[in-house]
Amino acid sequence: MKTLSHMSVKRAALRTGLAATAIALAMPAFAKDLTIIREIDSNHYDPPRTAALAGSEVLFMLADTVVGLAEDMKTIEPLLASSWEISDDGLTYTFTIRDDVTFCDGKAMTAEDVAYSLNRWQDPETKSPVRWRMGDVKSITAPDATTLVYELNAPHSELLYQLAQSFGSVVDKETVEALGADFGVTGFNGTGPFCWDSWTPRDQMVMTRHEDYHWGPANYENAGPAQVEKITWQVVPEAATRTVALMTGQGQVSPYVPFIGIEKLRMAPNVEVVRSDEAFWTNYIGFKIDKPMVNDPLVRQAINLAVNQEAMAEDLFFGEVEPAYSYISSGALDWNSDLDDKLLTYDPEKAAALLDEAGWTLNADGKREKDGELLQPLAYTFTGSWAQVVEAVQADLLKVGIDLQIQPFDATVYWGKAATQEFDMFTMGFPYISAGDALNLYFLSANMPSPNRMNWNDPETDKLLYDGATAVDPAVRAEDYGQVLTKVHEAAVWLPIYHKPMQIAYSTEIKPFEAHNIYGAGLYKGLQLGYVD
Amino acid sequence: MTMATDTADSPLTTPANEGGEVAAPPPRPHWLRRLLRDKAAAAAILLLALICLGAVLAPWLAPYDPALNSRAVMKPPSFMQGGVPEHLLGTDGQGRDILSRLLYGSRLTLLIGLVAVGLGGAVGSFIGLLSAFYARLDPWVMRGIDILLSFPAILLGLALVAVMGQGIVPVIIALAVSSVPDCARIARGIAMGVMKQEFIEAGRAVGLSDVTLFQRYLLRNCISSIMIFLSLRFGQIILIGATLSFLGLGAQPPAAELGMMASQGREYLLFAPHIAVIPSVLIFLIVLTANVAGDALRDVLDPRLQT
Repeated sequence: MKTLSHMSVKRAALRTGLAATAIALAMPAFAKDLTIIREIDSNHYDPPRTAALAGSEVLFMLADTVVGLAEDMKTIEPLLASSWEISDDGLTYTFTIRDDVTFCDGKAMTAEDVAYSLNRWQDPETKSPVRWRMGDVKSITAPDATTLVYELNAPHSELLYQLAQSFGSVVDKETVEALGADFGVTGFNGTGPFCWDSWTPRDQMVMTRHEDYHWGPANYENAGPAQVEKITWQVVPEAATRTVALMTGQGQVSPYVPFIGIEKLRMAPNVEVVRSDEAFWTNYIGFKIDKPMVNDPLVRQAINLAVNQEAMAEDLFFGEVEPAYSYISSGALDWNSDLDDKLLTYDPEKAAALLDEAGWTLNADGKREKDGELLQPLAYTFTGSWAQVVEAVQADLLKVGIDLQIQPFDATVYWGKAATQEFDMFTMGFPYISAGDALNLYFLSANMPSPNRMNWNDPETDKLLYDGATAVDPAVRAEDYGQVLTKVHEAAVWLPIYHKPMQIAYSTEIKPFEAHNIYGAGLYKGLQLGYVD
Repeated sequence: MTMATDTADSPLTTPANEGGEVAAPPPRPHWLRRLLRDKAAAAAILLLALICLGAVLAPWLAPYDPALNSRAVMKPPSFMQGGVPEHLLGTDGQGRDILSRLLYGSRLTLLIGLVAVGLGGAVGSFIGLLSAFYARLDPWVMRGIDILLSFPAILLGLALVAVMGQGIVPVIIALAVSSVPDCARIARGIAMGVMKQEFIEAGRAVGLSDVTLFQRYLLRNCISSIMIFLSLRFGQIILIGATLSFLGLGAQPPAAELGMMASQGREYLLFAPHIAVIPSVLIFLIVLTANVAGDALRDVLDPRLQT
């Protein structure tokens, strides 16, 4: 083989050098920074006080829970607790808490902090909308720095799964007390893989890597620290802009894949779309059943019959979602299959007949009225894609003479508005894996006015839900929950719209990963997020 | 004004004769004729008239109910590839007919503009005239107007909506309020000139009351100039109104309004650009024609521009 001349070697070396420099320049300093694109923001980031998905998404990264959950949505992984024991009667859980965990400010975390955080969740003063998830708690104590004892009054078969949710995130007592109402608004101190940097509501949430982190759950190859130095959660409300931002690399990951753009994203060579069907998400419009406009079950049933969910799923969501007629997916645990053929599907003529029967008759303008009052229910909704859904509902209802009024709010405002008694209808979506997950959230009388925004106040339901939650026999539980499902479907307290899959779009610059589905937060701890080498 | 005949060719008007006597300038043709002589103005007025006519006749012209959705979503205009003959300008993301929404939308947009300009113009002009009429009031009123001038219309709109809630009424009020300072300044300027005229002093001398003097001498001499300003202001108001609706503050669904239609189309910009483009073009045309027409009207009507 001919040896290269001195000159050409030098030139080649120079070329390689230039190429290397070029690559180094192309792989910029911000290769360690990651932008996640989202549609909406949370109202705040205080773990037990927000039920918003946008809150949980961030909190999973900022803080840790006693136990973790794997992508299969079943396997419980050790996280802050390295092991645990459950007493034979299912009433006492004893956790061994790790002794090598530190908060973002460097302080060591002990079982005392875990007990504080869980007791804060349970404290009625905190007014947690998801308090029921903890079960019927007797006491939560930390006898020493590495032991946590969680005692129940009645068994709670889902307890470990519920303790993996972001609401039980362990936080630093001193920071909570120092910041007061501003905790989770101006600052935060957790033990998560990322630390709070700054939050500009409706714009961006910036978090930086927790350098000491090494206690990530076992479902991740990387136990910590995180692979990227900084994560920016950027709010981009418009679907088209989100699509473009992903295609042009302004953001690397988005769990808020716009349905309108998903075909384009699937075809784009630099974007991958990953999906998980291990959990469910259902979007619905709820009725405040004690409001004069919608207090008649006939009217609510008529609204259910007048709306064409199938057309919406195809036309507004391009067939990417499943039209919903049931309040939870029929694939969810403990769904009552007796209800399958009783669901209210599209039938505008029957809707009109029901409205006539309810006394709301058509006037000269083609609108429904009773005793001189027009049937004009007021719906509160999120802005963005929800507003499109509500407009489609409005158009469908107009065809049977119902004049739906719409009042959209930004997500940062909406949660507060939805906790009032001002509206007749509201929009909401929720993640769940079982009937119990959904029913305990929405239909307990203790959960009024939020998340039980329907004002569903029925002692029998309360009893059935308590029996179901504390049942040891799965058949008993399914029977109890099945009865509640029948009750609420018959009363038509919701207008279900669609069941949606978890889909995450990410740039091919990012290492491939599996979508999580815990509380609908597809990225979970964020330890898997890293650039391809 | 009585209809003057075109006397350019009449034997009464003789050109400057041999003797070097300068004849009186020929009488000016009627303002309408002068207006239509300007090709651009004529086209603008015609187009604006057509748009207004379409808006007024919307219930009879629109092929569909503007709020009626259908399964044919995001269809492009019928003359484009993929379009359907039933929808001349296509459909939006909810399957509503864009042509029908455009007709109803321009109705609302024009109405917002007219009411806001009318209201703001009336209040503003009155303040301006009053301030010129009573010189003692002038510094106080004008400083107040200066303060109002420092609020951008959009900011004012946002503030009013925050207080009054979303809807057309708060937007109209915001637009009217934002027109007040401009109109007041213009009216005052015009009135200052009129106030210096001798007939005002004459009126005072013969002991006319302030009300009569204001009404009969000041207002009547200023009104045409003010109207010209308002016609120019109309285009601006339409634009700001559409902007507020674009931001979601004005008309609420299912009503159609051009700014709101453009805003709704934004979601589809990448996939069905016509949904946003068509209403935007109409806003552009309304504003452009209103401005050109207003300009032309000023040219032919404003006495100060007549030489």
